[in-house]
Formats: sequence, structure tokens, C-alpha cells
Amino acid sequence: MIKTPHNLKEYKKDLKRALGNSFLSATLDSFASAYPASRANAFAGIDFDALASEIARAKDESISKIEELLEEFTARAQEAGAVVHLARTAFEANSIIAAIAEENGVKRIVKGKSMTAEETFLNDFLERAGYEVTETDLGEWIIQLRGEGPSHMVMPAIHLSRREVAELFNKVTGESLDPDDITGMVKLARRELRRKFVEADMGISGANFAIAESGTIGLVTNEGNGRLVTTLPRVHVALVGVDKLVPDLKSALRILTALPRNATGQLISTYVTWITGPTECKSSPDSRKRMHIVFLDNGRLALAKDPVLSSALRCIRCGACANVCPIYKLVGGHNYGHVYIGAIGLILTYFYHGRRNARTIVKNCLNCQACKSVCPAAIDLPHLIKEVHRTVLKVEGKRPPKNVLLKNVLQNRRLFHFLLRRASFAQKPFSEGEYLRHLPFLFSEEHNFRRLPAIARVPLRDMWERINPRVKNPRFRVAFFGGCLVDFVYPEQGRALLKICADHDVQVDYPMDQTCCGLPAQMTGEKETARDIAVQNITAMDPAEYDYILTMCASCGSHLKENYVKLLSAEPALAVKASQLKDKVIDFSSFMIKVLKISPGDFFAGAGCKAAYHSPCHLCRGQRVTKEPRELLSAAGLEYVATKDEDVCCGFGGSFSIDFPEISAELLKRKLDRVEAAGVEMLVTDCPGCVLQLRGGMEKRGGRIKVKHIAEIVAERMRNDDDKKNQG
Amino acid sequence: MGQPENVAKFIERARSVQTTVTVVSGLAAAFDYAVDLTLKQGGKNIAAPAIRGENLVLLESICQKNNLMLLTRNLREQIGMIGTGLTMADWGIAQTGTLVVNCESEDLRIATMLSETHIAMLPKYRIEADTAALEVELAAMMKTAPCYLAFISGASRTADIERVMTIGVHGPQELHVLILEEDGL
Ligand code: SF4
Ligand code: SF4
Repeated sequence: MIKTPHNLKEYKKDLKRALGNSFLSATLDSFASAYPASRANAFAGIDFDALASEIARAKDESISKIEELLEEFTARAQEAGAVVHLARTAFEANSIIAAIAEENGVKRIVKGKSMTAEETFLNDFLERAGYEVTETDLGEWIIQLRGEGPSHMVMPAIHLSRREVAELFNKVTGESLDPDDITGMVKLARRELRRKFVEADMGISGANFAIAESGTIGLVTNEGNGRLVTTLPRVHVALVGVDKLVPDLKSALRILTALPRNATGQLISTYVTWITGPTECKSSPDSRKRMHIVFLDNGRLALAKDPVLSSALRCIRCGACANVCPIYKLVGGHNYGHVYIGAIGLILTYFYHGRRNARTIVKNCLNCQACKSVCPAAIDLPHLIKEVHRTVLKVEGKRPPKNVLLKNVLQNRRLFHFLLRRASFAQKPFSEGEYLRHLPFLFSEEHNFRRLPAIARVPLRDMWERINPRVKNPRFRVAFFGGCLVDFVYPEQGRALLKICADHDVQVDYPMDQTCCGLPAQMTGEKETARDIAVQNITAMDPAEYDYILTMCASCGSHLKENYVKLLSAEPALAVKASQLKDKVIDFSSFMIKVLKISPGDFFAGAGCKAAYHSPCHLCRGQRVTKEPRELLSAAGLEYVATKDEDVCCGFGGSFSIDFPEISAELLKRKLDRVEAAGVEMLVTDCPGCVLQLRGGMEKRGGRIKVKHIAEIVAERMRNDDDKKNQG
Repeated sequence: MGQPENVAKFIERARSVQTTVTVVSGLAAAFDYAVDLTLKQGGKNIAAPAIRGENLVLLESICQKNNLMLLTRNLREQIGMIGTGLTMADWGIAQTGTLVVNCESEDLRIATMLSETHIAMLPKYRIEADTAALEVELAAMMKTAPCYLAFISGASRTADIERVMTIGVHGPQELHVLILEEDGL
């Protein structure tokens, strides 16, 4: 039976156990390393983004007319001789299937892989009703024998080692097996399951597609068990979520282009089977199969009407959002979902398996966007995760103290900045150079995996007038959005920017009424606060007054660009400003390369040091900026050394590291290990949040690699006009 | 149709998913291939439920000569004992090395999935570039109930134990495709 913790304390125990499981960690790590290359290979020659938006568009259309499609499907399938049922709830679906079994005098049932049947806990139900049910997908069979739920939607037994499988098979069959002989174990399964197929009276399958125009179901499998389940027994029941309805074959084939490629890196799965109506079946008295299709609603039809969350129904169950998730990779599927696993699992759990199962796991997201970037249905998964998180908080009416604090402080810029200044003063006796000597009272020992920076003595905004030269004939008027970290912790990063801009005739303003971008509020599910802050910032810097709005913080940048539009979409005049803002926000590296057209000639000659680069989530995925920072590093004369997983999250995730320090620490450790192994002298990134995490971690481990914001190293190595004159 | 580039791509893609592909002149050569392979693998029989007329007569005589049993119907009774399943594919899809087999008949389904080795014959002119090129035909077939249409790309496989790819979990352990230059004898 699946047990998902209902509170953080229990959840953290489970996480700790998983982090200590070295097999899990090694196997998921090797999978995560192999996956991107095989996926890229499979998509060679295909425009993934175009395909994903096409699938999203078509799915949205199907979702909006799901009841019509159901009607059409039902008519066609009934004409073909199948019986179609609609089950409103999981219990109803299970009861319908049990009734079909009873009506047909069924004793033994074989099952093909179906996440929908996992969702309704169909096996438990049928077994309690006295039927023998055998899963026939190898992975599903293994977890059924172990009494577990799947730990991945496509590879349900990925959490188990060959040794564990060999022991299990030995226990079940009495045969002793060599754990290294995987072929032998597969042969044993073939033999055992073949018998079950022949003896079964009823086969239960899922379906990847339900095609309305012909009443056809489509099944995608690699093992071929789906074909046997639908061929040998005299009764076939397909349990299908209503979200699998598509209007026509064309729509199904479009999804089929993406599904195997994204799931397993295959161009196509070994068997794709299309069935319309009951086919010939000689074990049936009249040589015709009995075919039933049970559609499952279980909240889907209501979900389809939600303007934002309905996009979760686009999911084609490829499992990719787990494959690339840095947290899934550390803690495995049983700790990252309930029945449905991965980013989509965090969302669907709330709808299909209830608030209590969702409330804790839904907090465990870094908002790193990795899932979103590979979703073939273009679902904005991190956004939906936050929406669910917010809904849970709202429904439960229990705001954590962190949220109340954030709301009260962030909404009032003066109070917020007053507190930051106070903190800078109060921390004096506790700081040691640029770091705090002790962790502040909110933190416990498990947060001690990195050193925390001290708040700057003078924030950027207070020195701005003094350090910002007036440019005579500016080429561009730029508003600088500092963000809390540059303003109050790392003002030197802002100074670096000013130095460069002054040398390139760019006038930079710092609109003083700007405040935190609001992402921390959004991340904790405080959408209303996030909305209010968005309005404050848009009022503080009217995008119409500037050529660009520049930010050196990847997270602020992507929040300003992506989320302001969403937060203000329902407020006409503000929505326009939000969309203007979106068009004008630019990150530091893009500004340097694309706007100022910085080239190697702008820098001092001579070889710079070897530098690794950490690609911030909210830059490489949030704003899709990948080439410019690397180009800028090379232009600045640094020897850029590529490192493995440089676009995997560093584990900062804003306030995430307060709730889940153990995960944050592990991600940071892996990142720094890789950078140290690369033999570089410097680690460069372009987000002050990542700098905080990486520099604090490097300091804590006593490493010698310097961690810098890219603006700092660019400013250091850039020649100004005088230098150029002197050196020619 | 049957454009050389489609044929070449079909061969390349099918081989990349462990399908053995051979081009043969026609049905007679294909039958010889099937018999030779069955003998080599120690199979005792060939299940060929969809071969008819003079083709069947020829196949029967070759099997007889080589002491192989030819199974043409009631294959359900033979499950677990079928050596080779010999079938005709309706189309080939070059882009993915896929066979399209319309197998409403139970015997045909059993021959393609419960034999140890599946040999599919595919007339060269039936190879198309991709599914889009076949969409109209496939949609029409699906609308003619009952319909059981299979796309087969390679032999049955699993990676469910430690992600190690293993062939032959449920279906045939081997898939051979014989591309027929001519679809007569
Ligand atoms: S949400 Fe997207 S990536 Fe995740 S399983 Fe569904 S389709 Fe795949
Ligand atoms: S945003 Fe990142 S951490 Fe959150 S679910 Fe997606 S991949 Fe996982």
C-alpha cells in the first residue's frame, strides 16, 4: 500500500532515508545522465518546441470539448460492438470492472500496464473481490509481487537492483537465480507470465489514445504484453482516463511522435496497437471477444473547466518530468509523488488522491524549470505546482509563519528595506568579513552546509547617486532592476555593471521605489502578495520610459518576464504594462553580447584563468539564454571549461533551502564536486542567488575556487577608453 | 511509393532496433528463407495462417520436404510450441522501421506474437516514408470494425531490470523482415 507522508517531519525522515540509499542514488544518476543524450538523438531533425506547442494546442482543444468527444467515441465504439461506460469515480470504475468480471464468469485476470488502474487501485479492489489478478508488464509484475506502487510512470521498478529482483523471483518461484543474469530473470518472467496469459479469462489494459472518430483505442508498449492481454482472454476491458480522448488519428499520431522519443529515447515503441471493436477470439463461445471500455472521470471533467489547471490534462504520461527533475534524481519516485510520479505527480496527487497526500510533497519543488523544458505537452509544471500549493494552503487555512512574515514584510517596501538595514546593523557583532559567523536564529544545524553572506553595510540604492556617473549622450536608457540580493547583499555586482555601462555610454537609472521582485511570495504560494508586488514594481519602473530593463538576477528576470504577465492578466491596463515589461527585460550577458556587442577587443589581452560556468535555471530555461554567457566568458579571455550537468540546479531555489536543506546541500555538493574535478580556478554564474549558494558552499568546504558573478569578471577584465588609448 | 530512399531508410531504421532485414526476389525465396531459418533454430513448425492458394501449396511442399509441420489454423492450441510465424505485412514505415500488420484474425495475431521467431514479408512497393503518408488508409481501416492494427518495430523488449535492455520478454525473440522485390512467386 502506498503511504505518502502528510507532514513535513515524516516526509523529511523518508527523504533522509532515500538520500542514504546509494543504489538508488547511483542508478537514478546514471539514468539522468544518459537520458538527455538519447532524447536529443531521438528528436534529431524534429523541432521539439513546435511539436510541443502543437500538442498543447490540440490537447487544449480536445479538453475543451471532452464531453463531445466522449459522445462521439461512445457512438462509434458501440456501433463497432464494444460496450462503453463512464465512471464518475475511481470506486465506480472498479465496481463496473468487477461487475463485468462477474457477469462473464471470470476467475483469472491479466493486466497490461495502466497508470489509470494504478490511480483507482484496481488490483486491490479486484483481489478483495476474489479474483486472481496478474500484472504482465515486467516492471509492474515485480512491484506487484513486492506490494509496492510504481516509482516511475514508465519504468515502475527503476528503484530496485537486480539483486532485489533475483531474491524476489527466488521467493516467488523457489528457483535460485544469478542476479547478474538479467536475461535469465526475463526468461523466467516470460515463462511464468505466458502461463497466466493462457489461463486468463479477462484482460485489462489501459490506453494511450481513445480516438473519437472511429471509436478506436491505441496502446503503446515495448514488451508486447499489451497485445497478449487484448488477444488471448475472452473478455477485454480497457480502463481509460477521459483525458486520453482525441478527435482523430492525426492527433494520436502527433502524440505518438513525441511519446516514445521523450519517454525512452526510442523513435517508436516496439508495439503500437490500434483496436476498434471486439475482434475474433476463439476462446469465446461465439468466437467474438467481449470488449468493454471504461472511461474514468474521477475529477477530470471538472478539472477540464479550470482555466489554468486544466493544462495538467494535456499530460501524455511520458515520465520525462521525473527524468530531468534534480529532486527526483536524489530521492526517487516513492518520495516524489503518490501514484503519479514526478512534477505532474505533485499536481495530480491533489486532484486524484487528495489534499493530505499532496500537501507535503507539493512543497518539494525548486522551481528549476527542468521539467517544463522537456514536457512534450508544454505544461508549465512548476507554475501548476505552485498553484496547487497555494490552493492547499488556502483550503487548509493554515499559513506557515514563513508565509505570514513574507506577506507582511514584502508588501511594504519601506518596512522591508528598514528591516534589511536594521539587520545589517544588528549582525555586525556576528559577522566575519563578508560572511555571518553564526546562522541566524531561524536556521538549524542542517542549514549549516554553506556559509551565509552578511548583509552589506551600505546597500546599492544608498550609494547609487554617488557611484552612478551622468552619461552625456547616452546610447540607451536603461532601468536597472537590482533585486534584493544585489541591492542588499552584493552591491559590488551592481557597481561592476555601472563601470561597464559608463564606459559604453549607457545611462542607467535605479528606480528607487522598486522592491523585491515577488518571486519568494510566489514560491511560497502567496499569489496575492506576488501580485501586489508586481504592481509596485511596474509602477516604479514604467517600461515605456526605458529602452531596456536590465537585471543581473536570473530569478528576478524570469519572474518579471514570465509571471508578471500571468499575475496581472485579468487587469487590463496593468496587463499591457506587464507585457511591455516582458519585452524589455534583459539579462546581463545578453545585454553585453546582443546590445553592446562586446567583443574580445574590449578586453585586456592575455590569457585569463580556467573557468567553469554554472547555468542558472532561470536564465537557461527561464529565459532561454544559453549561448551569450559562454560567448561573453570567451570574449573576456577566460578559458571556459565545460562541466557535466552545468545546467542542473545548484539547489538554492530561494526559500526552498530553508524547508529542504538536505536536498539543497546534496545538489550543491554534487555541483561543487564536479567543478573541483574540472581543475578550474574560477566558477562563474550570472545570478546572485546562485552566487550565494555556490560561494557559501565553496567557502564552507574550504575550497580554493573563486565564485563570481559574470559581471564582476567582465568588469575586471574590460579595458576602458583610457586603457584603449594607452595601449592602442 | 517504394522509393529507393524509403527502402534504404526502412532497412537502416529496422536494423537499428535489432530487426534482421533481407531483400529477396519474391515469395518462393522468402519461403526458402523461412524454412532454412526454422531448421537452423531447431524449430519444428511454421505457422502461416494468412498464406493462401498456390502460395500455400508451394510452402506446404517445401515444409514437407524438410520435415516441418505447417500450421494454418487454430493456433491457440499450439501456443508455446510455435517455432516460426510467417506473415505478410500490409505496409512498412521507413522513418521508424515499422511494420504495419492488420491482424483482426486471431491466428494471425498469434503467429506474429506467440512464435519464437517472427518472419514478416513486406513487398517493396508497400514501404512508405512515414505514418503521415498512410494516415488516410490507416484511418479508413480503423473505421472498418472490427479492426486490430499493429505497428511492430523490432522484437519484444524490456529494460525493467536496472534499465538493461533485454530482448524477447513476451513476444518473439527475433524479428526478421524479408523485403520482396516482387510480391508474386
Ligand atoms: S507532464 Fe509532461 S513531461 Fe510529465 S509525464 Fe506528462 S507529458 Fe510527460
Ligand atoms: S521545477 Fe525543478 S524541482 Fe520542481 S518539479 Fe520541476 S524539475 Fe523538479
